[in-house]
Amino acid sequence: MKKRGIGFASVFYGTGYGNGFPDISNAIAELGMDGKITIYVGATEVGQGAKTILSQIAAEVFSMSVEEIIFVCEDTSITPDAGTAAASRQTYNTGNAIKIAAENLREEMIDVAIERLGLNSRVGLAVKNGRIFLKTFPEKGISFEEIALLVGDQHLRRTGSFTAQTTQMDEDTGEGAPYWPYTFSVYGIEVEVDTSIGTIEVIRSVCAQDTGRTINPKLVEGQIDGGFAMGLGYAIYEDLNLQKGKIKHNRFTNYLIPTAEDMPEVEKIFIENPESTGPYGAKGIGEPVTLAVAPAILNAIYDAVGIRIKEIPVTPDKLLIALKEKEMEV
Amino acid sequence: MKLEVVGKSVIRVDGLAKITGKAIYPQDLFMDDMVFGKTLRSKKPHAHVKIDISKAKTIPGVIKILTYKDVPNNHHGVLLKDHEVLCSKKVRAIGDPLAFVIAVTEKIAKRAIEAIEVTYEEIKGVFDPFEAMKEDAPKVHDGSNIIYHYKLRKGDVEAAFEKCHAVVEGEYKTSMVDHAFLQPEAGLAYKDGDSIVVCVATQYPHFDQLEIAEALIMPLEKIKVINTAVGGAFGGREDITMQIHLALAAMLTGKPVKTIYSREESFEAHSKRHPMTMYYKTGANSEGKLMAMKAKIIGDTGAYASWAINVLRKAGVHATGPYEIPNVKIDSYAVYTNNPFAGAMRGFGAAQVPIGHEQQMDMLAEKLAIDPITFRLINCFTVGSKTATGQVLEESIPLQNCIEAVAEAMNFSKKTEGAV
Repeated sequence: MKKRGIGFASVFYGTGYGNGFPDISNAIAELGMDGKITIYVGATEVGQGAKTILSQIAAEVFSMSVEEIIFVCEDTSITPDAGTAAASRQTYNTGNAIKIAAENLREEMIDVAIERLGLNSRVGLAVKNGRIFLKTFPEKGISFEEIALLVGDQHLRRTGSFTAQTTQMDEDTGEGAPYWPYTFSVYGIEVEVDTSIGTIEVIRSVCAQDTGRTINPKLVEGQIDGGFAMGLGYAIYEDLNLQKGKIKHNRFTNYLIPTAEDMPEVEKIFIENPESTGPYGAKGIGEPVTLAVAPAILNAIYDAVGIRIKEIPVTPDKLLIALKEKEMEV
Repeated sequence: MKLEVVGKSVIRVDGLAKITGKAIYPQDLFMDDMVFGKTLRSKKPHAHVKIDISKAKTIPGVIKILTYKDVPNNHHGVLLKDHEVLCSKKVRAIGDPLAFVIAVTEKIAKRAIEAIEVTYEEIKGVFDPFEAMKEDAPKVHDGSNIIYHYKLRKGDVEAAFEKCHAVVEGEYKTSMVDHAFLQPEAGLAYKDGDSIVVCVATQYPHFDQLEIAEALIMPLEKIKVINTAVGGAFGGREDITMQIHLALAAMLTGKPVKTIYSREESFEAHSKRHPMTMYYKTGANSEGKLMAMKAKIIGDTGAYASWAINVLRKAGVHATGPYEIPNVKIDSYAVYTNNPFAGAMRGFGAAQVPIGHEQQMDMLAEKLAIDPITFRLINCFTVGSKTATGQVLEESIPLQNCIEAVAEAMNFSKKTEGAV
């Protein structure tokens, strides 16, 4: 028999290393002779979209397109340390460092522009599409390329650094401010349980994701789909079959992860509520998006068949045994 | 503030290279005169070990076989330096690295691995963290197997439970899982003058640089890490796997050295998500307000600490779920066993606890005959809430909006559905 049920789960997730450990990101912004901006930063693109998100933050500072940003993050000898690509911290921490570096560079470029244009102050200036100009008289302006030429071989190059604020917790009571910011995520999931063979299929899924401010909607959607798949695998498939320290399931023929066929359409709702300490209000979402999936599935299984499974993964054999036990109780 | 680039679905800047196959992963790297490395790994979970490389090193085409004797400083680890680069006397988990063979072809390296004689003198292992916590349990390292205990104490939970209208209890268990990233580990290292260059796919190139420099006892600036395209990570590329082996091999042979892990080796080489056992007791008053919560969480970190301390701390802090609870008592422990080591994995301790706290929430809601959405709305964090650690949530706390948005999208009717 096929039975359906729905379940919900809410989570929070504290960004960063936490507990007062210095969580530092460093970045460099440089004006090139071609008027393009190069960002040097040791932040890894692991597939999460860091290169794109962080380029967008730099591009926003100069009101220019992402194509005008050259992003260098691959070589430790030319990039400053920006911490690990983990703890959902790159958008928040490194995004801030890049924003600061880019703003420092922009101010320096404005200084050059003011001198060259013979202006009296910074008031009323705009930076847009590779030019610095007077808003009320746009002809009075200078291109980034011209600024680079004026500065010549010295290269305009500025650094930015950001350190997140957390405190060490009290050893006996745990009191303190261990992480910041917190990101929230809620899932609602409908499952269909086949009680004859013990399988579970997700019929429907909705995710409401707090993003602070969404830097790139498509990339957040991608994170939610990936996070959903990982949560689904955690809840009902993935089993290393560990025996006396030996991983018996060590290939994808027996360590099962969800495939495209197992993935439902995940309905995504972004909840924007800017975080003042985040770059343009953004928070990290890489981990939060996956956390509520498995518990929502477990709650949906209960709603469907009245069985509370307290050990994951809920593989068909486990579910069938639990269904049998429930039948015998009745 | 009018934003021009932020908020737009800009196409991934790394996308074209990846979908056209032009992105360079470490597997794709080749250099003239390049040779191959292969790792010999322990087949036993807990044993004193002796290895004899005399036969293996005479195989034609074998250039050098690295053992612990070749490692200037044989320790590494993200927090505690409890990993050996190559095991010296004892193995603590299946998959622990014992030797690194460098040969002119991969095939010869494989043959040499098989020709190395390993003598194991097995020691009783411990695979259950509860057993490992006992005084007389086999010790995985020198000291106690319990490496961390996080305590959170707020209010008086026992007194509060007595006044609760409804109380639920449960024991929840999560399993050890793998990151299952698509690209297994691979890397290439070479000498550039008196520097060593290591090309790998890693999450944190500057930390790899530091760990390589420390193990080789070389100045930091003489180590350069080139981070290639990375085929997924999810926490599984935070701990060192092959980086030091490759750097040392390049340093001692003067040749570019490449290694590629198979999927099976990848499963053995990198960290896993901590399996946790979580006891929960949660109570609410008749209005549906959470009054007390108690949790005890045991995390199995396997043979090495990796990030266990930070993971169990994060689990402890997040154990309440996103709810205001006036009385809270949480204890979380990180414990060594002879299982594969656990470390960072997406969620980092905050992935396990919702399996407990969210089922507790539904069980309590059912007992109180309140639907699960309303019950969460009654208790969820909002601006001005205090977490169990006493932290004031002073801005950007839109949890209520998230819950309401999901309920609406699911057409959930608070009055008629919910509690079964």
